[in-house]
Amino acid sequence: MGHRFAGGERTIEHWENFLLAEVCGGEQLPDGLAHPVHLFHVPIDGAGVTIGELFDLAEAEGPDRVGLESYDWEWFEPLQENIAYRCEGQVLSAARRDDGERAWDELVFSIDLADGDRPVARVTNTWQIWRTR
Amino acid sequence: MIAVGDELPEWVMPQVRTEPMQTMAALLRDPNPVHWDRASTHSRGLDGRLINQGPINVGYLANMLMAWQGPECIQRLRTQFPDRVLDGDEVRARGVVTDVDGDSAVCDVWLERPDGSRPVVGQATIRITRS
Repeated sequence: MGHRFAGGERTIEHWENFLLAEVCGGEQLPDGLAHPVHLFHVPIDGAGVTIGELFDLAEAEGPDRVGLESYDWEWFEPLQENIAYRCEGQVLSAARRDDGERAWDELVFSIDLADGDRPVARVTNTWQIWRTR
Repeated sequence: MIAVGDELPEWVMPQVRTEPMQTMAALLRDPNPVHWDRASTHSRGLDGRLINQGPINVGYLANMLMAWQGPECIQRLRTQFPDRVLDGDEVRARGVVTDVDGDSAVCDVWLERPDGSRPVVGQATIRITRS
């Protein structure tokens, strides 16, 4: 808990915006607007970690031992291609859960995106790291 | 005029396919094999069906919202994932307006299978750009 990511900048390029809209089955957006679902990987990448490194940080027993609980994504302005967004974030909490049948760790992390001094977006993601009992 | 209780125009993914999951895994550098290797889901009792990434499921909800109120409308989207969406599934993104405040509206949103089950549920705040 409290682990801060290294932080850094991340630019959404046209090619990945095109592909992301395609994989989500959506239409290409006009005027360089980036598909909202970039708020999954762009903050993580921009903060200086990979998904695999997050799995390692959570001490996951394997890459298939991680599941989703929830996302809370906020856009203060639309995401755009070709802007170097500053990404800063940290782990907010990590707590052991046990419902009697299975055990897991609940990992919550949050990352802010900014364009210069202007806040652009904030993500708070909650992942489940399943544990062998 | 948008009002509480209005249903959002639904957005349909008639069949979730594996190729977009595999492209997404490459884009995300996602090492979880449940999105790209059928062998990994046999052991989970899923008959080798791949599990759609959570962000793609959120993408379906975003597509519905943008088709309704334009590409710059989404202000906040909170989602939970009570069940998995698998390749071969048909899912419909649906929603209903629960609050309106000036040029902003709050909606319950969800993905729905033909049997009525909801593998993804959430709440969206959008800026009203079209009445």
